[in-house]
Amino acid sequence: MVVKKNKGTNPGKYVDTMGTVGTIGLHMVSHPAVGAVAGYFLDDWLGTKPWMFITFLILGVIAGFRAVYADTKKVMRNQDKEDNERFQRKD
Amino acid sequence: MASGLPHPLLLAPLAGMDSITINGEVVNFSHVFYTWIAMAILFTLAFLVRGQIKLVPGKLQNVFEVIIGGLEDFVVGNIGEDGRKIFHVLIALFLFIITMNLMGLVPGFDAPTANVNTNAAMALFTFGYYNWIGLRRWGVGYIKHFCGPFWWLTPLMLPLELISHCARPLSLTLRLFGNIRGEEIVLILFFLLAPLVGTIPIYFLFGLAKCLQAFIWFMLSMIYLKGSLEHAH
Repeated sequence: MVVKKNKGTNPGKYVDTMGTVGTIGLHMVSHPAVGAVAGYFLDDWLGTKPWMFITFLILGVIAGFRAVYADTKKVMRNQDKEDNERFQRKD
Repeated sequence: MASGLPHPLLLAPLAGMDSITINGEVVNFSHVFYTWIAMAILFTLAFLVRGQIKLVPGKLQNVFEVIIGGLEDFVVGNIGEDGRKIFHVLIALFLFIITMNLMGLVPGFDAPTANVNTNAAMALFTFGYYNWIGLRRWGVGYIKHFCGPFWWLTPLMLPLELISHCARPLSLTLRLFGNIRGEEIVLILFFLLAPLVGTIPIYFLFGLAKCLQAFIWFMLSMIYLKGSLEHAH
């Protein structure tokens, strides 16, 4: 967790990446869950029995995939940064 | 440790704080009691350190300086100089959560984060705090954070963003609750199977996992605050 600069491998980065990887699984679940609950209560409120539930569930799934995509991008960015540093050290 | 399973010794029943009666209803109170203990530990440590702050740090001051200084560098490296304005909230959350998590490993104590109510309260606070910071910073223009990159995508992006913002407190709550509760249950099962021989090695693994969970909460709140502080794309 302590950020050191250019001293061999950086332990902070591993913890950072581990944290991001640890969040991916639940993002996949929690977004559709929130979408489904929102759709269910909107159905109750508006009286449009299955439609809001279906729409919001699909929106939730899309939002979940979007969150996973953002997390993946973050992990890959960390990886690229590390590769670059290693490459520069070799020169 | 895990409530519902047999436990040799717990502090809350001894102190008569296991449950309280509100309006004739018996309410589980032990997690609040252990939260108070975590607060007491943190306040005591804070006053001890504050009382003897020196230019050349002593042992306790050194520990705090390493933790707080290192994490401040981490936050400022990620958010920029704005990070210093919100760092006090993040570090308070981190120290509070790590204390509560590690209390589950101490005999006689229970981790308050193994109860979903503690986590839900902290997650709602985090949710409210980053939205409040965003509103204070951008005013009405904060809505642009929810509208996506192009104006014609707004009808699609607004529900998506609302769902993903509402999913944040849910996933924060469930992640911490699931991890800590699961660890507590595994710990008590190992203790039942093989006292000491089974539990001592697993303490190291769980100590690491509990610190990691506190750090994940810290890092995610930092990412959310970064999102609400920086300009909408």
